Amino acid sequence: MRQESSRRIGAWVRPWVLSLSAMTALAGGASAQSTAVAVAIVVHPETQVENLTFQELKAIFRGERQFWDDGRRVTLLMRAPVAAERRLVLDKIYGMDEAEFREYWIGKMFRAEVAAGPKLVYSSDMARDLVTVIPGAITFVPLNEVSSETKVVRIDGKLPSEEGYPLRQ
Amino acid sequence: MARVGRLLPCAFVLLCSSLGAQEAPSEPSVHAFLFGDMMYMEQEGDAADGFKLGQTVGHGNVLLSDRVALFGEVSLTGRDTGYGIEVERAILRYDFSDAFKLSAGRYHTPISYWNTAYHHGLWLQGSVARPEAVKFGSRFIPVHFVGSMAEGKIPSAPVTYAVGIGNGRAENIARAGDAGDANGSRAIVASAAVQPGGLLGFRIGGAVYVDDAPTSDGTNTDERITNANIVWDRGRLDLISEYINIRHVASASGDVTTSTATYVHAGVRLGGELRAVMPYVRWEKMDIAEGDVVFSGVVPDYEAVLGGVRWDFSELAALKVEYRNEKFGSADRTGSLYVQASFAVPLFGG
Repeated sequence: MRQESSRRIGAWVRPWVLSLSAMTALAGGASAQSTAVAVAIVVHPETQVENLTFQELKAIFRGERQFWDDGRRVTLLMRAPVAAERRLVLDKIYGMDEAEFREYWIGKMFRAEVAAGPKLVYSSDMARDLVTVIPGAITFVPLNEVSSETKVVRIDGKLPSEEGYPLRQ
Repeated sequence: MARVGRLLPCAFVLLCSSLGAQEAPSEPSVHAFLFGDMMYMEQEGDAADGFKLGQTVGHGNVLLSDRVALFGEVSLTGRDTGYGIEVERAILRYDFSDAFKLSAGRYHTPISYWNTAYHHGLWLQGSVARPEAVKFGSRFIPVHFVGSMAEGKIPSAPVTYAVGIGNGRAENIARAGDAGDANGSRAIVASAAVQPGGLLGFRIGGAVYVDDAPTSDGTNTDERITNANIVWDRGRLDLISEYINIRHVASASGDVTTSTATYVHAGVRLGGELRAVMPYVRWEKMDIAEGDVVFSGVVPDYEAVLGGVRWDFSELAALKVEYRNEKFGSADRTGSLYVQASFAVPLFGG
C-alpha cells in the first residue's frame, strides 16, 4: 500500500520537477546558499541499500549505473547551481565544473546512454521531500540538514559524521 | 541467418509488450534539445563558397515508463533545392537492467566512435565537421543501421558492449536499408569498449561489422569492417584516434581487397582566463584499394591536415575557425577556411 501510494505521489510530482527544471534552464539557475562541510547521500526509504562504495556512488551519479539491485530505476535529484553542496558533489564525484557538468549530461542524453537526466531541486527541504516520494530516488543534503525521516546511506562503510567520509569539504 | 533476422524483431515486440504490461503506469519524463549551426566558408577550386545554414537538429528522450524509453533525432538540412528532413535516429528501447537493454529502430552504426559519440550535434564535437571516413552521407562506412540492438555494461567490469542485427547498406551504399534489406542478407555489428571508472573520459574500443554489401553490377560482396579506437575526451584534453579496415571479397572473381581509414584528432583547452579556448589539429588518411568492387569510382583516396580554434563564447554556443588542407583522389591539394557558430538548446527537461 505504502509502495503504491509512493508511486502515485511520485508520478504526480515528476512533471512539477520537470517544469521547474525547464524554468531553471531558462533563468540560469536558482540560488540557495549553504555552508555545508559534508553532504549526506540520501535514498528513497524503500531502496534496498545501506552502503555504497565511493566508486558505486560515482557510477550512479554519473549515470553509468541506472538501476538499483532490486531492479528499480535510479532517479537522481540534483541541487540547482550555486548551492555549496552541489559544488562539493561536482568536485568530489564528477570532477567537473558547471559547464563540463552540463555538457556531460547533454552528451549522455544525446547519445541515448541515459533515458533521463538529473532532476533539479531548489532546496534541501525539496530534496528531502522528493526523495521520500519518488521510488528509486537518490539525492544529497548538507549533513546539518538531515532529518530523522531520511534514509542516509553509508559511503565506504562510513556515515557523514565519521572520519574518512569522502564527501567532505 | 535470414530466418533469425526475421524472428528477432518479432521476439523483441512480444517480449517488450508482455514485460511492459507488468509495469506500474507513470508519467512520461521528457528531455528535448535543439542543435544547430551556421557557417561561412572560403574554398579553393569550384566548390561553393559563402554562407551556409547547416543542420538544425531536434533530439528527444522520452522515458515512457520505468523500463521503456524512446529516443529520436530529426535533422533539417539546407540544400540548393530546399530543405531536406531526415529521421536520423528513432529507437524504442526496453531496459531490462544496466547489463541488458534491447531496442529496435534506426541508429548510428556503432562501427565508429565518432559516429555514435556526436551524432548530428556539431556543438558537441571539437571540430567544424566529422572526419571524412565517418562524415554524414559517407559511402565508406554504413553510417546508419536499421534493425535491433542489445547493449549494456558487463557487471563488475568497466566494459560496455553493443550487438545488433539489421538490414545493412541499401543499394545506394550511403544509406541504410530503411525500406527493407536490399539483398536479403542481414548485417551484424558488435562493438565493445573498456572505460575504467577511475579515468572518466578514457576508453579503448573496437567493433566488427559483417554483411553482404550490394554492388553497382547487382551482385553482392562479402564485407567485413573492423574498427579500433582510443579516446580521451574529458577535462582539458580532447584526443580521438580511430582506425577502420574494410575488407571486400568480390563474389564473381573472389578477389579480396582491403581499404583503410585513419584519423587522429587532438585538442587542448587552454587554462586560466583562456579556458573557453581550445585549439585543435587533425590528420586524416583514407586508402581505397585498387579494384575494390564497392568503392571503385565512388569513394576516392583522401588525405587531410586541419587546424582550428574552438571558442566557447557562451555555455551553450561555440565559434570554430578552421583551416583545412585536403587532397581527394588524384586531384590537387586544396585549402579551405571555415567559420562556424554552433549551439545547443535544452528545450525542456534539460
